[in-house]
Amino acid sequence: MGKALETKELVKWYGKEVLALNKVTFDIDAGDFFVIVGPSGCGKSTLLKIIAGILDYDSGKLYINGVDMKGVPSYKRDVSMMLEMYALFPHMNVFDNVAFGLRMLGKDKSEIEKEVKEALRLVGLAGLEKRMPLELSGGQRQRVALARALVINPSVLLLDEPLSHVDYRLQRKLMEDLKEIHRKVGNTFILTTHVQEHALSLADTVMVMNTGVIEQIGKPEEVYTTPATVFAARFVGEINLFSAQIKSWDGGLCYLTTDIGELKANPKNKNTLPSSGKVAYAIRPEYVKIGEEARLCDNKTEAKLVSYYYFGHYMEYVFEAIGNTKIKVSVPTEKVGNLTLGSTYLLGWSAKDVLLIERPCMIEGLNIEEVIYGK
Amino acid sequence: MGWGDRLAKVYIALIILFIYIPTFFMIALSFKSGAKVSFPIEGFTWDWYVKPPTGYEYSAYISIMHDKNFFTALNNSLFVSIVTALLTCLLVTTTALALRKKIVGRDLLFYLFLLGFIVPGVALGLGVTFMFRLFGIESSLLAVAAIVTVYTVPFGLILMMSRFDPELATYEYAASVLKASPLSVFRRITFPLIIFEVISAAIMGFLLSWGEIIRTQFVMKGMGTLATYIRNELSINPITPKWFAAGTIIAIIAFVGLAIFAYIMSRRVR
Amino acid sequence: MSTLQLKMGLTDRVAKYSRYLLLLPGFVLLLLFLLIPLSMIVGISFFERFTVTGPENLTLKNYVAFFTSPQTPVILLNTFGMSLLACLIAFLLGYPMAYFLVFRVKSARVRFFVVSLLLVPFLIDWSVRVVAWLPILGESGIINYALMSWGVIKEPLELLFGRSALLIIWPQTYLLWMIFPSYLALTRIDPDIINAAKVLKAPPHRVFFDITFKLSLPGVVMGFIFVFVSALGDYVTPALWAGGIQTLGLSVANYAANFVWPYAAALSTILVAIALLILYVLLKVVDIKKLVY
Ligand SMILES: Nc1ncnc2c1ncn2[C@@H]1O[C@H](COP(=O)(O)OP(=O)(O)OP(=O)(O)O)[C@@H](O)[C@H]1O
Ligand SMILES: [Mg+2]
Repeated sequence: MGKALETKELVKWYGKEVLALNKVTFDIDAGDFFVIVGPSGCGKSTLLKIIAGILDYDSGKLYINGVDMKGVPSYKRDVSMMLEMYALFPHMNVFDNVAFGLRMLGKDKSEIEKEVKEALRLVGLAGLEKRMPLELSGGQRQRVALARALVINPSVLLLDEPLSHVDYRLQRKLMEDLKEIHRKVGNTFILTTHVQEHALSLADTVMVMNTGVIEQIGKPEEVYTTPATVFAARFVGEINLFSAQIKSWDGGLCYLTTDIGELKANPKNKNTLPSSGKVAYAIRPEYVKIGEEARLCDNKTEAKLVSYYYFGHYMEYVFEAIGNTKIKVSVPTEKVGNLTLGSTYLLGWSAKDVLLIERPCMIEGLNIEEVIYGK
Repeated sequence: MGWGDRLAKVYIALIILFIYIPTFFMIALSFKSGAKVSFPIEGFTWDWYVKPPTGYEYSAYISIMHDKNFFTALNNSLFVSIVTALLTCLLVTTTALALRKKIVGRDLLFYLFLLGFIVPGVALGLGVTFMFRLFGIESSLLAVAAIVTVYTVPFGLILMMSRFDPELATYEYAASVLKASPLSVFRRITFPLIIFEVISAAIMGFLLSWGEIIRTQFVMKGMGTLATYIRNELSINPITPKWFAAGTIIAIIAFVGLAIFAYIMSRRVR
Repeated sequence: MSTLQLKMGLTDRVAKYSRYLLLLPGFVLLLLFLLIPLSMIVGISFFERFTVTGPENLTLKNYVAFFTSPQTPVILLNTFGMSLLACLIAFLLGYPMAYFLVFRVKSARVRFFVVSLLLVPFLIDWSVRVVAWLPILGESGIINYALMSWGVIKEPLELLFGRSALLIIWPQTYLLWMIFPSYLALTRIDPDIINAAKVLKAPPHRVFFDITFKLSLPGVVMGFIFVFVSALGDYVTPALWAGGIQTLGLSVANYAANFVWPYAAALSTILVAIALLILYVLLKVVDIKKLVY
């Protein structure tokens, strides 16, 4: 399979102070559904704008379908983009907005009419053709912008936060539609989001970004189960992180000193870990057991229940262990027992579910505690 | 830098040059020793600026520093322009604040204010003359300032109203949910954010009234402002480099004034 | 509690009526120096005489005289033709200036500096500024001097005389009137709207004509109106330079100078009416309110 996109050490400065992209290197297979996830301000939009050709980069290389894009104007690239704040043309109605790209491509009237109708139906806006952008709600505008980018059907489609301003139902529907469209047309989708659930459920490949750098690229389950850095672990999914010191190895089993006492780990990535030194000790909330079940685990600690959050299909408990360290535990709703706030319970987890992460993040010069407990 | 940026730079330079061409020639010719305002320049002299009068020459040949009328007119002009500037920024601010909300007849009112600029100057000048004549009012510099203000307000209004965007409303709303009274919202949020436009409106009022001649000429009796004085002199007397000397003096003052202003304002610009 | 409520009720009410109060100063000015003078012109144009005791004898004579005069078509053509041409020239020169300033000058300081620079000549006396064209374009000005010494022409060109004078002086004098609203309209365009057009396959010229220019139209139209009415109302430039070319504004000034008040009033009324008519047509095409709301 060919590469739809390749970048080599892309660098982008805004003025002299803001380094928005710091030597970003990655590539995307043709036909991939590629999701970029990262906190606000990490450079997602910047990267997409550079790919679309509406922003210049300072150095590095960018190839789309194998062609160097240096100096190629936006309209000659085989991409289209849905911009973050919709950017609908305020002087055109919904129909003309969606038809704009097709007109630029010189398609004929009846074809345009047909494709615009189809695109609007797809995003659930059939019948609103004559409305002006100002007469639409935020979510409707967003869907017009989506239809407008989709309808051109380019080989690379860039979607900058297409799901951020619509209600949950519609988010789900749009996600399904996006997957469906992607399957049907088979072109490459690059989508950004700061919502990790979207990343995990939509993507063939996920890229986790931190201010200007790539933290990890991989399949969603890969990123979730074996995060490359503490930052990636923290950003994708809920996780309990303790700073830890490796004491000794015994076969495959690692003994550590942590904030909440001596703990054991039997991590999958044991071959890549050092024999001593600082690491992050990580356990996902769904692997932590409470009470009776915990007794059988090889890692145990006592903790006081301080709060809980109900999420419908599961319940998240927050405990406080020694030294005010918080431990989150998630329990499927049907298994929820009768716990009382303020009481102390035994928590436990199995060493084989533990992740040990050596690298704090891809930005140089941060120490591991800073990343674990947030800056 | 692409060719587009280069083209832009050249174009901007050319337009500035185009606007400044007369100014350059004016400065050059103000030092000319002959009385004809044309090339070639035969000799360099300060005579048009400072030569003491003998008492026998026509006004067109009296050096500018010794022309008493010039200074009276300059005084009048400064008075009219400063009053206009103050009136303009005051009226622009109050009107723009009133028109930003959807009030009854907003569009109509906006067009009405615009009308102040749109009615051709000569017609308005005539109308005011009629009004003064019918009601037996004496024309004065203050009246001139008021007439000119009618014509300067629309400019400032457009500038100011376009500043009242939804973003500004958001800030004000944020302040008012934080329990600020309407007055303190204005004092602490709105005013600091529109001060740039308020000052711009005043400057616009000053500039527009400084050059205004059509309305002023009609209404003004006697000496008048600098604009009417020089224009009358030019239409009845020969044109000599004296007036270029006058223009040069004004240009230098203007340049220094604007430079100071620009320096102060540019620290406020992002 | 109850005093607090009372107080809030009061400030609310003040806030509600303050809008109308805020309108008052502006409205008084308009009434005194725009609406009353305008109605006076229209009123007096229907009288035969306007003496110290007031207007006398209602009549339509003034209008009849104007519309039956053989000079009228020429005057109208001069007035509106010249003003429109001046607008067009000012647009062709000023719009690119505004465009470049907004989209090509990245530094806000430089932009501010250029705009300030544009203002300086405005403070030089109006007449001097116009007269300063003499040494350039005048009969013995530098252009004629050069052209004659190179042998391109034998007789000096009358550049600063008649129509060409108006087409040089007007656009130069009123250029800022075109640049200012265009600039304002262009700065109000969200850069991402232009980006959206680019990623939707629009080549540069389509981006400009379909998006940028269309969105800046309210400003352009405002600029047209500003330059147009400035030129319409200007009788001083034609009097000084146009050498015998009659415009409506100049006629008004001439009749007024000779105290033929009612006829001057009728001419003024016609001038205002036509200006408003053109304005109305422009407003039908473009909503200039978009520039401000
Ligand atoms: N035009 C600009 N000038 C200066 N700095 C900018 C500009 N645009 C973005 N930045 C800065 O560059 C960094 C990256 O911005 P970018 O818009 O790419 O973030 P993002 O990941 O898309 O964030 P979000 O999720 O909030 O949309 C930020 O620190 C931002 O402040
Ligand atoms: Mg973004």
